[in-house]
Amino acid sequence: MNASPAPGGLRRAQADSVWVQRALTFVAVAVVGMLVVVPLINVFAQALADGIGTYWRNLFDDHDTFQSIKLTLIVAPTALALNLVFGVAAAWAIAKFTFPGRTLLTALIDLPFSVSPVVAGLIFVLIFGLQGYVGPFLRRDGYSVMPYLLSTLALAAFVLGYLALRPVHREARRGIWNRPFLTIGLGGALVFAAALLPQLYFDIWPHGKSLKIIFATPGLILATAFITFPFVARELIPVMEAIGVEEELAAVSLGANGWQLFWQITVPNVKWGLIYGIILCNARAMGEFGAVYVVSGHIAGQTDTMPLRIEKLFQEYNMPGSFAVASLLTLVALATLLAKIGLDRAEAARRRAAADESGELAA
Amino acid sequence: MSITIDRVCKRFGSFVALDDVSLDVPDGTLLALLGPSGSGKTTLLRIIAGLEIADSGRVSSDGQDITHQAARDRKVGFVFQHYALFRHMTVAENIAYGLKVRKAPRDEIKKRVDEMLELIRLDFLKNRYPGQLSGGQRQRVALARALAAQPSVLLLDEPFGALDAKVRQELRKWIRRLHDEIHVTSIFVTHDQEEAFEVADRVVVMNHARIEQVGTPSEVYAKPATAFVNQFLGNVSSFRGTVRDNRFRLGETSTYLPVREPIANGPAIACVRHHDIKVHAQSDGNGAFPARVRHVNTAGALVRCELERIDDGTRLAAEICQEHGVPASLRPGAQVFVELTNVRVFADAAS
Repeated sequence: MNASPAPGGLRRAQADSVWVQRALTFVAVAVVGMLVVVPLINVFAQALADGIGTYWRNLFDDHDTFQSIKLTLIVAPTALALNLVFGVAAAWAIAKFTFPGRTLLTALIDLPFSVSPVVAGLIFVLIFGLQGYVGPFLRRDGYSVMPYLLSTLALAAFVLGYLALRPVHREARRGIWNRPFLTIGLGGALVFAAALLPQLYFDIWPHGKSLKIIFATPGLILATAFITFPFVARELIPVMEAIGVEEELAAVSLGANGWQLFWQITVPNVKWGLIYGIILCNARAMGEFGAVYVVSGHIAGQTDTMPLRIEKLFQEYNMPGSFAVASLLTLVALATLLAKIGLDRAEAARRRAAADESGELAA
Repeated sequence: MSITIDRVCKRFGSFVALDDVSLDVPDGTLLALLGPSGSGKTTLLRIIAGLEIADSGRVSSDGQDITHQAARDRKVGFVFQHYALFRHMTVAENIAYGLKVRKAPRDEIKKRVDEMLELIRLDFLKNRYPGQLSGGQRQRVALARALAAQPSVLLLDEPFGALDAKVRQELRKWIRRLHDEIHVTSIFVTHDQEEAFEVADRVVVMNHARIEQVGTPSEVYAKPATAFVNQFLGNVSSFRGTVRDNRFRLGETSTYLPVREPIANGPAIACVRHHDIKVHAQSDGNGAFPARVRHVNTAGALVRCELERIDDGTRLAAEICQEHGVPASLRPGAQVFVELTNVRVFADAAS
């Protein structure tokens, strides 16, 4: 739109000559065509080279390929769910409160963007791998941590619950709300013990069984979640900051409780940012290669996700098989792109309609 | 419902927003909190709403202590300066929200929403979104939303602040009529004295985290309690001087003015409204002092002129009614004699 000269033969001062415009447009279209469109078409051409029947067999009759699709469908949604919780919590904290370390937290959220995925994968190998810090122990008797892990989760839930339910206003705190250290210390110990002792007493978890993180699904989920962490939070923070707290205060003054406030006011307000973040996060999670490559160990049919499977088939000169899986990821990417464009359009149309009508009415 | 504020203090860091403020709001009044920005009026309103909590002091309503009651339990209707309408809900949904979160029966909500829409005369807009409304319409929706759940107190934070002058005028009259109909105890914050005088039954003038004066608009206007109140309400010129034996000596001059309400000897400030400043071509020897005309504006029913005292160069302004006759000598640069009438003298606490 901006490239066309202004109507009526008027040329705006900043407009370049027609030849510059055409040359730049040509270069841009040529580059995008060479680097994006042609390879994209090639993926489908290669995948379907031996006919649709072979394409189908390559995807669903090859056991290892089918397993990789299933694994990706486990890893990506799990990482997405984790990041949804972390992302909303982090965005909420950064947008609504000021606290010591706020700037640091903002910077740390961006860290996965700047760290090479391979390094991210290596971090997890260094911690959980056999040569890592906790790897040997996990291999020897990994399941013995489970009671403690679950009890710690119960303790965390208790502390969070206490902090969430504690009256904000100092004078309204009575009894246990006035003694945070005592309550968290004593109550926390009780909760921890109550969660831990039955597990130990009834011997729920096996002994001497190794808990695999690296070269197993948990490691894949951890690595993927780490890499895709920024997407949800990054989308939400500016939206939440722009909206501010006034609507929430209004809801409180109208009698809404915290639960109603969150679901009826906050979530609808950040809905588009949230959907946008989920779409981008999911696309990245499904396509993640580097970090997953390091922690997966390439056990065919067990720890190969779709991108890893593509690479393996490619190395084995199974081009139709490789491109068949690649075409699936490409379809995910295209769907993401379409969803993104659709969302942008819907949002723009909504804004325009609102602006038009308010302008009409105000006039 | 009556509201009582008892010795409330509030600080934000090192900034004192409210310093030992006490106030009674009788049931059914429409009260204005009037003051310059930073005087603590909005903080006081938010403390009454429960959106802020006082550091010390008590807030009670109908004799019941509500200092530590949560905002959602207070049954207050709060109208925000920028309306804070829920942008993803229609007008009708916005108005229904307070009833919805309190789990009112569906048909009751519908009935009440229709009532409120009729009250604000916007039924034809009930399915619009806030983004599609004009400022004045948004303001009325915000008011309807606050009133829908039948609050015992209605609180309005600068309700007309973001509107243009004409809409503002209409809404003022409308709010006044509305209050005469529904009689809910209402408190609104404003920095516009004209607005406070036109709308409110009682006016509370605030400055620097304290209440300067409480009274009906005419009381506050006729008998300002402090120099600040006098200066804040209307166009006033102030003069420094000293009081001795109930006579005010203007600066170092030999002009003496009578003090109507006796105050202690010492430094003082005399405040005179601009229309009480008379300008004469000749001195009649009756406490007038010389000044030079700086600027004259004859557009409008009042002639406004800016003057500069000959003795110390301080500025003052006078407003003269066109029909009372304007001296022909009132031209920039001319020397005139200034007579002060209806002078109010206050002890000068600053010096």
